[in-house]
Amino acid sequence: MEFKLHQLDNGLTVIAELAPAAASMAVGFFARTGSRDETDDVHGVSHFLEHMVFKGTQRRTAADVNREFDDLGAAYNAFTSEEATVYYGAVLPEFQARLVDLLGDILRPSLRQEDFDVEKQVILEEIALYEDRPDFRLYEQLMLEYFNGHPLGHRVLGTVESIRNLSRQSMLEYFRRRYSPTNLIVVAAGNLDWDALVGQVTAACAGWEPVQTQRQYLDAPRRQEQRSIVDDKLVRQQVGLIGAGPSAQSPQRYAARLLGAILGDDTGSRLYYALVEPAIVEDVSVTYDPMDGLGAMLTMLTVDPERAGEAMEIVQREFGKLMAEGITAPELSAAKNKIASASVLRGELPMGRLSAVGFDWLYRHSYTPLAEQIEEMMAVRAEDVLEVARHFNLNEATIVSLGPKGMF
Amino acid sequence: MIKEKFFVQEFENGLTLLAEQLDYVVSAAVVLAVPAGCSRDGDKLAGASTVMTEWLFRGAGGRNSRQLNDALDSLGCHREEGVRSLFVHFQASQTHQSLDPVLAIYGDILARPELADKTFDPCRNLVAQELAGLEDDPSRKCNLCLRERFYPRPLGASVLGSEESLKAMTSQVLRAHAKTHLTPRGSMLAVAGRFEWPALRDHVAEVFGGWRGGPLDELTLAAAQRGVCQESKATSQVQICLAYDAPRPQEEKLYYPMRVAEMALSGGMSGRLFSEVREKRGLVYSVGARYHGMKAAAGMFVYAGTTPEKAQQTLDVTVGELKRLGEGIDEDELVRAKTQLKSALIMQGESTAARANGLVGDWHLLGRLRGLEEVSSAIDAVTRQDVLECLAAYPARNITGCFLGPQALDTAALE
Repeated sequence: MEFKLHQLDNGLTVIAELAPAAASMAVGFFARTGSRDETDDVHGVSHFLEHMVFKGTQRRTAADVNREFDDLGAAYNAFTSEEATVYYGAVLPEFQARLVDLLGDILRPSLRQEDFDVEKQVILEEIALYEDRPDFRLYEQLMLEYFNGHPLGHRVLGTVESIRNLSRQSMLEYFRRRYSPTNLIVVAAGNLDWDALVGQVTAACAGWEPVQTQRQYLDAPRRQEQRSIVDDKLVRQQVGLIGAGPSAQSPQRYAARLLGAILGDDTGSRLYYALVEPAIVEDVSVTYDPMDGLGAMLTMLTVDPERAGEAMEIVQREFGKLMAEGITAPELSAAKNKIASASVLRGELPMGRLSAVGFDWLYRHSYTPLAEQIEEMMAVRAEDVLEVARHFNLNEATIVSLGPKGMF
Repeated sequence: MIKEKFFVQEFENGLTLLAEQLDYVVSAAVVLAVPAGCSRDGDKLAGASTVMTEWLFRGAGGRNSRQLNDALDSLGCHREEGVRSLFVHFQASQTHQSLDPVLAIYGDILARPELADKTFDPCRNLVAQELAGLEDDPSRKCNLCLRERFYPRPLGASVLGSEESLKAMTSQVLRAHAKTHLTPRGSMLAVAGRFEWPALRDHVAEVFGGWRGGPLDELTLAAAQRGVCQESKATSQVQICLAYDAPRPQEEKLYYPMRVAEMALSGGMSGRLFSEVREKRGLVYSVGARYHGMKAAAGMFVYAGTTPEKAQQTLDVTVGELKRLGEGIDEDELVRAKTQLKSALIMQGESTAARANGLVGDWHLLGRLRGLEEVSSAIDAVTRQDVLECLAAYPARNITGCFLGPQALDTAALE
């Protein structure tokens, strides 16, 4: 695997990991912007803008954009999180030039009023869709409660009200403020032609004017709230815990990922054996969520309403036990092997590498080859994992319950 | 074009080993398909295949539940079980160094499962919880309802069974069910990725050689229920799930034209459904159609989700597009559909797990393994006339529909 880096005069960074044996290649435009970069009057604009990017440019109508992606046989999409907005496509190598031209062009969208009005309806439908998904509602509520007042608590989709009130003009202003070439990176992975890529990106993006962008870094409030949302239309109880974890930049991130797997992987893990194997809960997961400048540990479970209290006691007891007694060598080694093989499996797909390479650069301005990344993870010791659990104290968390029963 | 190396070996116990060797990867993915799918459960034991699949991992070959899970975990095995209509799929992906020991463990799970009384209840209970959870997952609930109505019985049976059947299930009865249905006869073991052929064949012969079981009776099919089902529920969106007949995968003269038509309807964002229902009218976030085929029956499955006030229009526009497709597709759509199908074929083929699944599908449906070249040529050969003839043979008429939401819809257009 060869790594390449180039910067355009306007500050746009282009990086690539070459894998000549791959059958396809993938390209992504990663924008360092998301709901945490929104002001209070434009909640949901990052995600709405992501939709509008596909709605056409000076050179292309919305229908042209969709048709051209499909003409290339591309697997393509985009997503928005609290911190990043990513536009990507994977194609057979012969279509590299056309894919880069298309992605480069749509990143300077026209944002036409009539398209804006129709797409607003689609966004409202998306919000309605997620209202019917209790696991998503729980996640959103956990973020809101835990980060109360901090920009990371902003809803990625916005609310029905914020979307209704959003104007094209505010979106345009957000776009100008956040989509500077200095705040974007172009990432490519797979079977690609690097020299041609630099030329293609230059042709499509060299005219973009840079502006000053910045992100606000505030300390997380690290709240320890308990909130119960009663919804008698639901049959099952969803319960979640959110607490602090190391940031995406922290050297402790590998240990935190291992801690998540040891505690809450969906095959053998502490909470699997304590809760799922005896069927006390239907499912449980513990995930480490690395973010820019801070991080979180997130636990979520689905349970019979009558057993929700019992399940939460077991979660807290297992967390306490781990912090008191540490972890065993076999469980550390199993977690490492699972994560290593997952990375290898994902790494066999250009789309898998695109994401890993892109976020490595977005968060850390670094490139770590897959083998090196696995080596660093394998070097984590049991005491490093314990240190993360104790330092961030797994039981210092905000707890939210959603379901037919009140819990607190 | 990537050079493909296929291997097939049928063993005397009835198990067929299918393998595709890929030297440029480090992973090896396994799919073991056992003919114990939920169509075999019967009404009385509805949900048996799902409970049984959970139960199989609670101890085998002298390892208890924890030792078994830990052994797979420490080999870096990523496993996923899928209960389907005819087969239960055991999928395991790992690096090639772990392939042999993982296969040995699956040999234990199938040939020497513990199936102990004390581990039965939690397995049944987990499935009962998942069934109860359907009420909180309107989209899945509506889709299960559609499959059940659309396919000839019992092919569309729900993998989760019913409250009554789960309650009545005992460890003894399920053990007997497992003994009959976990049989190597008709089972397929597919491996895709890095391996050495003679060594893989010999290892599989050794670890699965002791697995015994007789053939299963031919499944008797009864007419599908079809028609319309409207369930009232106070949800934010109305779920619209539709299906109509499509050619089966082995009807190759019609199958490829139907896949081309599927692309024109719903391939990517330029597909007709996405353009007309979402892009032009803003009626939905999610709309699409996908083909699903079995040996005995196949269908085009269409989904849309929308808020109640837009539901009728969404249904009308969607069904209008399904009918308009019968007039055929234009040259641009044909060319685009072919590129999409061929690109997807190659890109999906980069995943060893997808390849292993492809081997199982081909062998079961066609009795042979198709190379990329064969599929690619078959796609290239499709003409607009072929598509038109296929759509004439399989028009969007007598559409089966399941709806879930706060209000009922006028479904006259489905006829």
